[in-house]
Amino acid sequence: MSNEILDIETAVRLKGFNFRASSKVSGYKSGIHKSYYNGISPDFLDHKEYSRGDELKQIDWRLYGRHDRLYVKKFEDEVNMRWCILIDKSASMDYGDGEYNKFEYAKKLCATLAYLLLKQGDSVGLVAFSEDDIELITPRAGSHFITPILDKLETLKPSGSTGLKDPVLKALETYRSDASFVIMSDFLIDSKTIEQSIKLIRNSRKEISLFQVLHPDETEFNFSGSIEFEDLETAEKVIVDTGSLRHIYRKRVMEFIDKLKHICHENETRYVLSPTNQTIEKSLIQIANK
Amino acid sequence: MNLSFLSPLFLIGLAAIALPVIAHLISRKNSLKKSFPAVKFLISTQGQLASRSRIKDLVLLLLRALILALIVLIFAKPAVFSFSQKMDKTPVSVAIVIDNSFSMGYEDNFKRAQDKAQDMIDSLPDGSFAFITALIPDNYNESHLLENTRLLRKSINEIELSFSFTDNEERLQDIFSYLQNAPTEKKIVALITDFQKNGWSNEDVRKPWLELIDISNGTNSPNHAVSGIDLNYINDSIRVVSRVSNFSNDIVAELLTTTQLGKQEIREFIDIDPQNSNALEASFTNYDISLPGSGSVQTTHDKLKADDVRYFISNYKEESRILIVDGDPREDSRLSETYYLARALETISENAATNITILDNNSILNKDLSDYQLVYLANVGEITPSFAKELEKFVNDGGTVVIFLGNRVSMGSYNALLKNILPGELLSLKEDNLSLILSSASIFPKDITDRTDQIRVEKLFNISIHPESEVLFKTTDDSPFLIKKELGKGNVFMFSSTADTSWNNFSITPVFLPVIKMIHDLPNIKKNKSRHYFVGEPVKIETIEGNDSTIIVDPRGKELKVNIESGEFQNTWLPGIYRVETDSKLNYSFAVNVDPRESKLEKISIPSIESSPEQTRDLVKVFKEIWRYFLWGVIALFVSEAAFRGIFS
Repeated sequence: MSNEILDIETAVRLKGFNFRASSKVSGYKSGIHKSYYNGISPDFLDHKEYSRGDELKQIDWRLYGRHDRLYVKKFEDEVNMRWCILIDKSASMDYGDGEYNKFEYAKKLCATLAYLLLKQGDSVGLVAFSEDDIELITPRAGSHFITPILDKLETLKPSGSTGLKDPVLKALETYRSDASFVIMSDFLIDSKTIEQSIKLIRNSRKEISLFQVLHPDETEFNFSGSIEFEDLETAEKVIVDTGSLRHIYRKRVMEFIDKLKHICHENETRYVLSPTNQTIEKSLIQIANK
Repeated sequence: MNLSFLSPLFLIGLAAIALPVIAHLISRKNSLKKSFPAVKFLISTQGQLASRSRIKDLVLLLLRALILALIVLIFAKPAVFSFSQKMDKTPVSVAIVIDNSFSMGYEDNFKRAQDKAQDMIDSLPDGSFAFITALIPDNYNESHLLENTRLLRKSINEIELSFSFTDNEERLQDIFSYLQNAPTEKKIVALITDFQKNGWSNEDVRKPWLELIDISNGTNSPNHAVSGIDLNYINDSIRVVSRVSNFSNDIVAELLTTTQLGKQEIREFIDIDPQNSNALEASFTNYDISLPGSGSVQTTHDKLKADDVRYFISNYKEESRILIVDGDPREDSRLSETYYLARALETISENAATNITILDNNSILNKDLSDYQLVYLANVGEITPSFAKELEKFVNDGGTVVIFLGNRVSMGSYNALLKNILPGELLSLKEDNLSLILSSASIFPKDITDRTDQIRVEKLFNISIHPESEVLFKTTDDSPFLIKKELGKGNVFMFSSTADTSWNNFSITPVFLPVIKMIHDLPNIKKNKSRHYFVGEPVKIETIEGNDSTIIVDPRGKELKVNIESGEFQNTWLPGIYRVETDSKLNYSFAVNVDPRESKLEKISIPSIESSPEQTRDLVKVFKEIWRYFLWGVIALFVSEAAFRGIFS
């Protein structure tokens, strides 16, 4: 069951990719992320004149030979990092058939990312949210920790409406120290709420990445004829002549996506649009390259 | 024009109009249902498009329903029909006569008459012949009997509205005579008319060969008209007295009337009582009356426009001049000898520019009479030899003298001084109670002779008639009352009694005015040249001798030639000012007006063919199929529907 959620082949192909924090973090275990503290990393940072208390093994003897004075090498400290993956489990995510189902796609994305992050030595936690239901798994490190995450993902059923602010606040309470947030959602909510949620995270000096998971129907609107649409969350109904509406609908959706991108850019947030007909691998490469 | 269907059962198919509506409702009910996450975008988008979409849906629904309706109507064979005289299938020769007298210009009577003629042509049985003609031919070229309906229709449109009227019965008889050479056995003259009284001398005009079609709308036809103009020349001003008549039963209030002379205009608002006239005076001061001019009096247009304007020519030199000599003037003009005479002459002068001068006995004794055409002597007592000579010369030169006797008349001086002029010798004065009888019926119309018994004569002179004189009226005791004598180029009329009511009641009977008018209108009375004519009246044109390049410029500016041989101009079919020019130089102008008699719109009592129950039985519906127009409509709607869908898709 768990194997269905975790795309092992993709995970293997992406093994060489490192999901790094773009800023320094205050992790205490050895990892790939640059630390606020200098010391154990092999990356040379600077020289400083020797003083009492410095470790003798860090003295640069070659420099002593040239200058007849003792200098100590300074190195960057590289530590591990805590990740908090927020996955939207509202009813609007339950759209699309089979592998194109938005929620299934988001779960796969979440599982694969969590696996890769655990593999690179980071600790990963999970927050599955809808407006009135938040389920939380505290962050842990170690490859073996993928199992409880996959089990949790397996049990999630999409329901309720989308609410972002409360889950973010809840996650921030849990992740008081440095952490990187990843939110996977269709973000079909008010853009102001999205902006406020992002700002909450950014004001806590935490990094944030967004995966906007949308079904191609939502972006292309390739329907024909007159259709009565019912909202998955509010059950609101509307009959539309899809032909006459298509052009203006697409324009509206693109405007919304552009606005979301703009909000992300303004708040130094990584954004990846992940249509469900796009491979998990491509979505993850996009976020890794940002 | 009425609409009907030749296959009305197909109209059941109109229920098909409901199909698009039902289809629309079903499609709404059975539309595909789908759960969707991004409905919020649909709602916001839909809100923007909703009204546009609703209009689109409605228009498309309407277009589709119309298409279906028209298709059904095409199958039902729509046709317009009009009632027409029942014609059997045997071919007929018909003269369709359109009344184009000027009363037909009322509202759209003339257009309806033309449409009616079209319908009649359409309903002719196969093998029939027809020709179209105008009741008043004017300058319309008569068509010939034709079988070709296209040419017939064309000739309908060639008929123009006239500004005159004619003797309808004579004209219809002529048309029927023309039909006698027609190739078919059955011959009909169909007159499409408004049945206005003018033009009909006999009310019972029905004839077996005459089909009468009433085109009027059957309601009263209120009308006002400028019915007369009189010009008075006073020193350096002209007074234009126009008469505006109201022929309706309602008051005409605040009617704007514009009198125009040369470049000057005088405007005034007038009220006219029902079935009455109102005189309007417009004085143009500081005007050189010796110069000929032209002008018009015009009112705001009503439904009959042709009589709302009247044209005139001002020409002081060509005014008729009448002298009345009052032998017994009084301070109160009503008691004056010539009061009734002057009123009668004023009435007569309304139709032509006439100047009436009234002088007393003393003022005329040394008067030069050559300026006058008519001289009336009323109870003139003092006659001088020089005045008697002047009077004789005046008559010999073509003037007319009318003598009324009275208590101031001295038999001796009259018989002595005026013996060459008088038609008889004054013998004695006698008193009696006599009535009048006609002595000579040759020159008086019947309405005068019928009323002479109303005249009572109490005092008159016995007169011994000269052999060359003629007694026109005499009393019941055989005494002459009115005697006529021709002298030289002129005439002398003598009444044996007074012009006022002291000796007789002649001047206050209905006979007085016609008798005075008859004298005024005698053909050998010297008259001045008139510059005023009625439409259609021939005009004798004064051409310059030796120059045959005289042309007439009609009111539309069209140049027309004069018949050189007769010197007459016949084409006076348009009201307005006509210019007589020689070598592009204006000789003079004359005015042509509509006859005001036609303005009184009064129908004759001929039972209308459309309203008479007897005739209705013979009416049949004449159908004209119009499904082709519906087919074009369907095609147009299909194109519109496709274009509309294209725009919104």
